[in-house]
Amino acid sequence: MTPHLIPRLRIALVLCAGILVQSALGADLRVAQVAPDLMVLLAICAGLFGGTEAGAWVGFWSGLLADLFLTATPLGLSALTYCLVGAAVGALRTNLVAESRLLTPLAALIGTAAAVVLFVGLGDVLGQSQLAASGRTWLVKVAVLEACWSAVLSLPVAWLYRRAARGSAGAERVGSSPASSALQGMALR
Amino acid sequence: MAVSRRSPRSRYVVAVLVLAAVTLVTIDARASGTGVTSDLRSKVHDVFSPLQRATHAALQPIGNFLTGALDYGSLRHENQVLRSELVQLQTQSITSAAERAAAEQVLAEEHLSFVGGIHSVAGEVIDNGFSNFENSLTLDKGTSSGVAVGQPVVASGGLVGTVRSVSATTATVMLLTDPTFAVGVTLPGGNVGTARGSGRGQPMRVTVVSTNRAAPAVAAGQPLVTSGLRLESFPPNIPVGRVQQATRAPGSAEPDITVTPLVDLNNLTYVRVLLWSAQ
Repeated sequence: MTPHLIPRLRIALVLCAGILVQSALGADLRVAQVAPDLMVLLAICAGLFGGTEAGAWVGFWSGLLADLFLTATPLGLSALTYCLVGAAVGALRTNLVAESRLLTPLAALIGTAAAVVLFVGLGDVLGQSQLAASGRTWLVKVAVLEACWSAVLSLPVAWLYRRAARGSAGAERVGSSPASSALQGMALR
Repeated sequence: MAVSRRSPRSRYVVAVLVLAAVTLVTIDARASGTGVTSDLRSKVHDVFSPLQRATHAALQPIGNFLTGALDYGSLRHENQVLRSELVQLQTQSITSAAERAAAEQVLAEEHLSFVGGIHSVAGEVIDNGFSNFENSLTLDKGTSSGVAVGQPVVASGGLVGTVRSVSATTATVMLLTDPTFAVGVTLPGGNVGTARGSGRGQPMRVTVVSTNRAAPAVAAGQPLVTSGLRLESFPPNIPVGRVQQATRAPGSAEPDITVTPLVDLNNLTYVRVLLWSAQ
């Protein structure tokens, strides 16, 4: 058994719990018909606290899980979107973004809005024109409200993800610098 | 302050995962709802459905609380409206009972088979649809209960949608607000039209199907029912919605009609799947 297997299993468990909570509570949390998306938030958290690779892996699996519960869009579309978003957040986090108390909610806000636009854009390219059929106003509304939901839920989800990812390769890499200790402290608060 | 540099391995991992996702999309798109990806979805639904049911039951009180908290203002207003409607309905109940009896006699004479004639299965909603780009819900009944793709789904009030996919223990229902949903409706003056979904929370739009008859005179508030024409996906006379607006653009022969669904699609707990298929 490799030392990183247990954290990976914990992350898998968090992803399964995430999709169950999303399917049970997602519809109840709708504000102006827009529901939050826990799965994309988990991908963003993985990118933030695990780096590019963890963001891509967790994004891929969280998206794939979401895809398995959807029927109108092809399997793999959410996986592709969340993988790219998780990796992008991880890459920006490790290369560009400075430490800040607002880093987690801000990354969740921007990452989710980008994920919504990317999902519809990629879907449109792949022949899923029904995604854009509700019009640009609906797309903007979903992007804004879903992003706000992500910002609100980001701290508890980040806390949960960090606990699950303790001891994983990505957490060790990102967690190895003194700068990220401050980040870890912030997320755990 | 930068934490670490992106390694070539990261790029390689991202590229492989993107390729894997694109491959899945391609396989699924080519299979168009059948094949290995559809089987996989079906199996996952079967495995997760007991967990979904348990999670739904456990979290429902929290969900109800959150819904109430998020919709407090509208719930209060709705409560007031309902109180006034109740008073009106109580006074109407005596006359409507007599009218109902007469209508039942008329329906029996017309041999309308849908009135109590179609077998149905009651299903509990275990997932009210969590995607913002998919108008669907999941039921706890599947092929083991006789549910099949394409069957109409109704609730008290009228049409809810149609079964889009089904596993042994679950069924996913496409709601009538989905942009890909279409249903034939009867319009005044013997005309028929097609009502199409326009997205969550938005009214359906009706396209008048050209006939030799005069253009339909549709008024706001008028209820519309399924037309049930030959090869239609729905039996006739299922209530679909109420006309929200009917306007005629200058120079246009047909009116622009928008319809509000009769069923509150946000608060469905139980629905009925009609074990009916187009002949």
